[in-house]
Amino acid sequence: MKILVVLRMIPDSAGELELTSDGRGIDREWLDFQLNDFDDHALEEAILLKEAVGATVVAVAIGEGSNRVLQMAVARGADEAVALEAEGDGIIESRAIASSIVALARSKAADLVLCGVQSTEDLFGQLVPYAGTLLGWPHVSGSSRLGIEGSALRVTQERGGGIAATYEIALPAVIGVQTASKAPRYVSGSKLREASKTAIGKAPSEPAGFERSAEIVALRLPGQRGTGENLGDNPENVAERLASILAAKGFAGV
Amino acid sequence: MSETPILWIVTLAAIALTLWRSRRYIVALAQAPGASRFDQPWRRLEGVAVAIGLHRKMLRKPLSGILHALIFISFFVLFTVTIEAFGSRLFPGFSLAPIGGDSWIALLQDLFAVLMLLGLGLAVYQRYVLKPARFSGSSGSDAAIIYVLILLIVSSLLIEAGARIVGGADGSWRPVASLVADLLRAFSVPTHPTERIAYWIHIGAILAFLVYIPGSKHRHMFLAAPNIYFRNLEPVGMAPAVPSERGSPGVTSLAQFDWKQTLDLLSCTECGRCQAVCPAYASGLPLSPKMLITDLRDALTNDAAAPLVGGVIAEETLWACTTCRACMEACPVEIEHLPKIIDMRRHLVDEGHVSPMLQDALSNLTRLGNSMGKPSKMRARWTKELGFPVKDARSEPVDVLWFVGDYASYDPRVQDVTRKVAELFTSAGVDFGILFDAERNSGNDVRRVGEEGLFETLAQSNIDAIRACSFNRIVTTDPHSLNALKNDYRHFGGEFEVLHYTALLAELVAAGRLDIAPAGGALVTYHDPCYLGRYNGGFDAPRDLIRAAGYTLHDMPRCRENSFCCGAGGGRIWQGDDGVKERPSENRIREALGLGVGMFVVACPKDKVMYTAATDALGVAGQLKVVDVAELISLREAPAAEGYDRVDGGAING
Ligand code: SF4
Ligand code: SF4
Repeated sequence: MKILVVLRMIPDSAGELELTSDGRGIDREWLDFQLNDFDDHALEEAILLKEAVGATVVAVAIGEGSNRVLQMAVARGADEAVALEAEGDGIIESRAIASSIVALARSKAADLVLCGVQSTEDLFGQLVPYAGTLLGWPHVSGSSRLGIEGSALRVTQERGGGIAATYEIALPAVIGVQTASKAPRYVSGSKLREASKTAIGKAPSEPAGFERSAEIVALRLPGQRGTGENLGDNPENVAERLASILAAKGFAGV
Repeated sequence: MSETPILWIVTLAAIALTLWRSRRYIVALAQAPGASRFDQPWRRLEGVAVAIGLHRKMLRKPLSGILHALIFISFFVLFTVTIEAFGSRLFPGFSLAPIGGDSWIALLQDLFAVLMLLGLGLAVYQRYVLKPARFSGSSGSDAAIIYVLILLIVSSLLIEAGARIVGGADGSWRPVASLVADLLRAFSVPTHPTERIAYWIHIGAILAFLVYIPGSKHRHMFLAAPNIYFRNLEPVGMAPAVPSERGSPGVTSLAQFDWKQTLDLLSCTECGRCQAVCPAYASGLPLSPKMLITDLRDALTNDAAAPLVGGVIAEETLWACTTCRACMEACPVEIEHLPKIIDMRRHLVDEGHVSPMLQDALSNLTRLGNSMGKPSKMRARWTKELGFPVKDARSEPVDVLWFVGDYASYDPRVQDVTRKVAELFTSAGVDFGILFDAERNSGNDVRRVGEEGLFETLAQSNIDAIRACSFNRIVTTDPHSLNALKNDYRHFGGEFEVLHYTALLAELVAAGRLDIAPAGGALVTYHDPCYLGRYNGGFDAPRDLIRAAGYTLHDMPRCRENSFCCGAGGGRIWQGDDGVKERPSENRIREALGLGVGMFVVACPKDKVMYTAATDALGVAGQLKVVDVAELISLREAPAAEGYDRVDGGAING
């Protein structure tokens, strides 16, 4: 079995986000980038499957800092690392990257494509349906456990109220991973240093497979609506102000 | 049959049995990987002389020290009896008489037999009446057996000598044996059989003891001296590197420990001094440095032992250690607990067996170079609120390169102190600069948590950044950074002159470059940070500063090298409090509360965080203020940015 796992780099939300001058994008110049958390789980699930039933894992990363994350993926057990060239350096749009992922899935003869169920730049989790549609493969999103039964894939999906549904899907398929069966493992510095010697492949970006259907006309930073109060960043003042607000609203006796 | 062949037979049999009982240890030592501990023989011998000859560490516990010294010296004197007892029968005609065996040696033997019994009495009193907690977990039977054997050996030698006197020997050099002789006469005991029985009891007890030694803690009679001789002579702050011949960073089996680490295991006296000072043990965590050593030792001869890491030594045990080094400082035979703990942690980290909190911290360190997960660009944010710019050491030469460290840079609870230090430097005219976003966590605790690869990455990045600057000396806020930069970075050829900020401030005070308005002599106490004091000998500078600032220092009972860890070191700050019954920091605050001082002075950013939390948790923040030593200093003419008025009566910043 060959698993293609998609790793998207997203802006580190601990940094200070600033908008571009046209107000339609995030200024990426001073930002740190980090791996999308759900994609981290997708990677873990891919490695767990490899360990359970044997598989070859190809990690594909998109965005700034891809190389670092690909080395990490190799240190964790991925067999091959590919950096996907991105169009421009803006938001990683699922509509735009889906065809590149699909082209790679075909050229690497993948049986299973895993990616995070969503990212901060794809809150509605469209990469999985886009890729599934282009490939003509079945797809399920929101998995919390994957397993192989004979030649089929079993996908467990958490529903509300603690109910879990399990699907059985024929491979090849595309899965949007919500959480891996186990929390992503820690990979030690010595393994990372070892993995930093691995060669990283490159893949060109393909033209988008779908027409653009909507445009972003404005982005807004949080806390600009005027209804909130900025408590500042001095912890003592924050604590005091918070306590007095809670007391005033009747949440706590002071 | 004459006694000579019988004695030969039993003696040789006992020696053979002793060797047989030691065989597993001998094999383990012989097969262990190498360690270079053969350099500087004179310095090594000197250490042995001080440790054993003067009983230096032993005497830190006066009763134990004195009783051990009594038994120890008496043992050597009474060994002449043993020589005579064996010599005279094994080689008929042998006698110590020509060199004074019947005169002054006899007198000494008589006196030291009594001193030996006195030491024995004190030992019994200590173990069975005083029952110090440090003995809990030590082998009780080992102790009881040696008491009985000593009693047998000493009483039999006195009875034998007494019987000889009754039989007509000269008793003038043997006052004690003469008294015994009087007793024997009083009971009209037959002299010749008594002498022979006493002789054979003496011989039997000594040989029994010899055979008993290999399986008991009394091995230390033979191994303490070599273990001290082969002690570590590297700077104590340098954690051992991973040997190049080892495939992976950690240790998964006892056979991977080098011979010195193995010798350590065999030398332990089970005295429990390490356990008594261990903050992890005191807080109720499943770590006793003594049991760590004895569990490893017992596994050495147990074929059915569980896997080393996670079996013989539980993971929770390894993670409980704060790497405070108090155990190694206390150990009278120089056993090295920390290298073993770190080597086993290295294995856990390499396998990815880390708690979620630790994983977060390490992942942040990997990604961003700090454990808090803050962007590097925010590292120098604290300088924004200063009334003056701070030089960028990357772009202009400075005299002092200030390595600020994570907590002092990022933690809002400490940033005020960092700014105060910057103001003091400025006021004293120090030409200093910082690395801004090029600084990374020093890696001190990363290394001690067992993350050697990440440590190397961090260290290399810092060394590159530091080397690209032009400076004369480095000063650090954090004692942990101090230790890494000064000691650990030597592994990468990074030899810098590194000072703690308290040392630089003390230097400035001594040179009259700080115009201090002294306070009114209020009583304060001071906590020695492990990595400043025990690790790097920085005991005096903070104390000098406290005095110069106009305060009266009242030290806690556990101070200087006996300081008690705050509980944050060695990566403990990245671990949860699960299983902790009493936080070490709270234990420490209770100690300070007993002194009736108003301020608890610290010299480490982590201490400010830990102890402020502890006084809050204990509800004593109003009684005891946690203050950094820099905050104590108030200047007559404060620099531009105000806000740091003198600390008076415990109120900080008004
Ligand atoms: S270093 Fe400190 S915490 Fe660790 S075992 Fe020794 S005394 Fe205990
Ligand atoms: S390790 Fe050292 S201090 Fe601890 S019990 Fe053994 S001999 Fe005593």
